[in-house]
Amino acid sequence: MEDLARYLCDLAKRRGAAFADVRALHRRAESILVQDGRADKLAASTDRGVGVRVLVGRCWGFASADSLERRRGEQCVDDALALARASQEFVSDPAMIAETAPVVAEDRRLPEIATGAMPVKEKIARLLEYEHSGRSVGGDAVVNSIVSYSDGVRDEVLANTAGTLIRTAGARAVVTCLFVASDGTIRQRGMEHRGILGGAEILRRTEPDEFSVAAARKALALLKARPAPAGRFAVVFHPSITGLLVHEALGHNAEADAVWAGQSILEGRLGDELAPPTVSIYDDSTVAGAFGSYAYDSEGTPGRRRPIIEKGRLVGFLHSLETAAKFKTGPTGSGRAESYDCRPIVRMSNTFMERGTVPLAEMLRGVERGIYLLDGHWGYVFVQKGQFICHAGQARMIERGRLGDPLRDVSISSMTLDTLRKIDAVGDDFEMKMPGMCGKEGQSAPTDCGGPHARVGDVVVGGHAEE
Amino acid sequence: MSDINYLELCVDSVARAVRLGAEWCDVSAGTGRDISVTIEKTGIKTADAGQGEDLAIRVFVRGGMGYAAVSGRDPADIAEAVERAVALAKEATPDPDFKRLPAPDPAPQVEGLFDDRVAGMGVADVVRIAAANLEAAKALEPDVNLSGNVGLSVGEGALATSTGIALAVRGTDVGASIDALVKRGSDVGFFYDFDFGRFLADCRLEDVGTSAVLSARRFLGAKRIKSGRMTLVLGPLASYGFLGGVVGAANAESIQRGRSYLCDRFGEVIGSPHLTLVDDGLIPRGLHSGAHDGEGTRRRRLTVIDRGRLVSLLHNSYTAGKACTESTGHGTHSGGISATNLRPALGERPAAEILREVREGIYLESGELRADPASGDISASIDFGFLIRDGQLVHPVESAMIGGNIFDLLAHLDAVSSDAREEPGALMPTVRIQDVQIAGAE
Repeated sequence: MEDLARYLCDLAKRRGAAFADVRALHRRAESILVQDGRADKLAASTDRGVGVRVLVGRCWGFASADSLERRRGEQCVDDALALARASQEFVSDPAMIAETAPVVAEDRRLPEIATGAMPVKEKIARLLEYEHSGRSVGGDAVVNSIVSYSDGVRDEVLANTAGTLIRTAGARAVVTCLFVASDGTIRQRGMEHRGILGGAEILRRTEPDEFSVAAARKALALLKARPAPAGRFAVVFHPSITGLLVHEALGHNAEADAVWAGQSILEGRLGDELAPPTVSIYDDSTVAGAFGSYAYDSEGTPGRRRPIIEKGRLVGFLHSLETAAKFKTGPTGSGRAESYDCRPIVRMSNTFMERGTVPLAEMLRGVERGIYLLDGHWGYVFVQKGQFICHAGQARMIERGRLGDPLRDVSISSMTLDTLRKIDAVGDDFEMKMPGMCGKEGQSAPTDCGGPHARVGDVVVGGHAEE
Repeated sequence: MSDINYLELCVDSVARAVRLGAEWCDVSAGTGRDISVTIEKTGIKTADAGQGEDLAIRVFVRGGMGYAAVSGRDPADIAEAVERAVALAKEATPDPDFKRLPAPDPAPQVEGLFDDRVAGMGVADVVRIAAANLEAAKALEPDVNLSGNVGLSVGEGALATSTGIALAVRGTDVGASIDALVKRGSDVGFFYDFDFGRFLADCRLEDVGTSAVLSARRFLGAKRIKSGRMTLVLGPLASYGFLGGVVGAANAESIQRGRSYLCDRFGEVIGSPHLTLVDDGLIPRGLHSGAHDGEGTRRRRLTVIDRGRLVSLLHNSYTAGKACTESTGHGTHSGGISATNLRPALGERPAAEILREVREGIYLESGELRADPASGDISASIDFGFLIRDGQLVHPVESAMIGGNIFDLLAHLDAVSSDAREEPGALMPTVRIQDVQIAGAE
């Protein structure tokens, strides 16, 4: 793949590209689905191909093919050049690229248990053990269970016309479980998921008690929970919700492509105080073993720790080679592409709020009536207007500083800048256990997010009952 | 379009899998090419193109399923995928609920799935459409910030099964999706529009940008509102998402496995008599139309909810076999279940009249009004909505939410409009729901 990538870069340059990069990739994945006591869906996939990106004049062109044949790669070069040339007349914001020193490197992070080294039967046995453990907690009240496992290895080469040549090999594995409980009237779900940079060792590291048993207990507990109230409340965020907040509400707004395009509410706010001085938020692709970590991004820039908010002040954005050039700053290693058939775009990695000093008990004591949100499920944001939503699988009422009734299915929605300003306590704990796939412009990227407990003085809660 | 006969490739792969021990097997294979032009900052940022081939094989041994997918056309890769699928099926737990794959079920072709004009378009054509949008939008709003995509895809493929199904299909898609951001000082108005179709003649692709600008202007001046119970009117885009979610929940596998809010509700009244939802995969030129589903079962027109009563579930061959019924033609090749074109029955009065009767409420133009798949509870953001007072849209709202349960909302649905936005295959009426809990930030 190295020879192909270098050859295509040279070809693109000879044929008129001011800059070109080529990514050649081969990846394999396997998955197992256990449902209701049976491992009845086993799957595997193989994928290989090459993507060529060229900068010609004022515009980018990109073409890909699902082959590592030289002939197909050459066609990609010609197609990418033609695509870029066809668009020149209608460019409003000329493309550019940061000049960086070439990187020649190899980064191989192979799983502890190589792909195929753990027999499928052994994986199935472990998944059935998870399922059995969860079901045994709830008996007949558990009406459905799904446990799934997937792993994937990828071997990738990146070359560019500046002389960069990087070969990376890595693996990721994910195990998830879902239990549905019913009391005959309502149904509730409890979920857990784990993800690592690695392979089947995740099955040895993940114990049923903190995984499937915990998920089943969540589903059972939710049967006794009541719908959340509706209206404005003081809220305390579990680290998983803090993670959703920093990823959705802030992180996407700090992606420099959105900022440069005038699509982010953070445009023109660099240096502004957006939060109290107790709040610091980072994106860091060097966290050892974290699901969103990597050594080099898809443009060859080394990953690093990137401050976004430090002591309440907006100090930086996440940059690709292009946005770094446009902002006249250095790239941060945030240009990521899902696969060979995708252009690199600005993405997060592991995004988190730094630990503070306030114990959870003290945080709760300061709330006369509010809601404790935990079990972060999902969220999304409209960066253009800074409006986000975060969904919690579970919640508890807070009454006079104490945790009260359990609540179910509750989301919060607010404006990013308003919410950051209203963070009035940052916990002395820390957790980052939200491995997942973040979607943007049709691409998925593995990310993680987290932080400490945090308290926000006033947020809109979407519940059933008027307060 | 391709020098490969995909039907032969599928038939050969099925035969190979059977020789290796597959009891049941199906193979799909095909090729596609796409062109996409990305708009950013009211200009073209990049033009992308991709071409690829793939093959996916599904094998059953004693009901356990092995599945393998491979990209490209390397014969060694394809042979390995076939072997892998058979090996995985043999390792899977036997599943007595699996009965059979579909038998051949010839059906007339659905007209209008492939447009030679779209197939003949190149990057210059896509760039021209993107440029037309930019020029028209700037003429309307010189400082507008447009972003989005214009693109097309052309594909052909085949499906073969060990039961004798051998189908060849081809299709085209073309479309534009554009976001518009307009500013007045610190005030921001943001919205989007789109147009997709299988035929170029079915779309007005050059008008998407101006439509997005006009809509974005309406969202200037958003204000907070008070909490309360009020009427919720779902505009065409919002109703499509909400009602589509209800049809999607009629997935027979979710119900058979006990994880859906529609469990034990088959045959029961789950909504108001104003609600009739039809799923129709046979609409000519429909985006989700086809003569057969991903397993080779004939598609059909299926009434899922009839005047409030849940009368049909969406089945694939697995769930149909388990329930001793017929597949409804909603199977995907990977073993899932998927709805096709949503066709709510229209009401008798136009949307404007339905809106005019609302004293106080929310008009949801667009938003993810999704219910928890198990409980049916809803806790959703009003992403793009307006306050309604005395039948008029007063101002857009910010930081507001909708709470409730899907059955309450369906029961309180008291009007479906007689007019609707039409997209190829789909009907999107306006829908009114009474007495909904709204949480506001005022």
